Amino acid sequence: MTTASEIQVRNQELARAINEEARRDPHSPYAGKWVGIANGQVAVVADTLGEMAKELRRIEPDPQKSFGVQASRDYTKVTYIWGPR
Amino acid sequence: MPRVVWPLLDQQPMVEITLTRTDGQQVRRQLLADTGAGKGQDLEDLALAEADCVACGGFQLNPVLLGGAYTGSHRVYILRIQLPDLGFDQDLAVIAVPTCPDGFEGIAAFVFLNRFGYGNFGNPTQFGLETP
Repeated sequence: MTTASEIQVRNQELARAINEEARRDPHSPYAGKWVGIANGQVAVVADTLGEMAKELRRIEPDPQKSFGVQASRDYTKVTYIWGPR
Repeated sequence: MPRVVWPLLDQQPMVEITLTRTDGQQVRRQLLADTGAGKGQDLEDLALAEADCVACGGFQLNPVLLGGAYTGSHRVYILRIQLPDLGFDQDLAVIAVPTCPDGFEGIAAFVFLNRFGYGNFGNPTQFGLETP
């Protein structure tokens, strides 16, 4: 039986592959889309985060088995928060 | 236009959001309203303690890299965020952070504040949001 953590590893590997594909190929069906992944498979491709979240929750209510990625995003870019800790 | 205001917290601007836990209980969190957190085109609206992200049943997005007050890779969750007085109810991307600013339970980044009109609305002892 596959554990939730194993599923999450598969989800994250798929998310990484989708993002690499979308960044390499602007004609990829995932390019610029929000992609929801459940149980190691693509479950939703949506134009907005809200659409993706709603549909992904409907398909897989268990958050430990689902994952999302904004395809084409440069995830090496740093977001700065300057506020106090 | 609907407006909600809160008193300053330790002389700093604060916004109060409502989260929904997996057991259905709604909890309020007081966040530092920080226009210096992130940029207007960022996708992550808020920063909260990871325990809140998990307790509210958020599923994860790809992690992001932070710099400044926080450094390194941080998990991102999708959470239902509400401001009932403004009729605001949306799924937003929330960065999980290990610590929150003193006295606060998280950070409302510029991209979140900029969804609304924001400011003191003429009263220096308060901070508020209003819908356009």
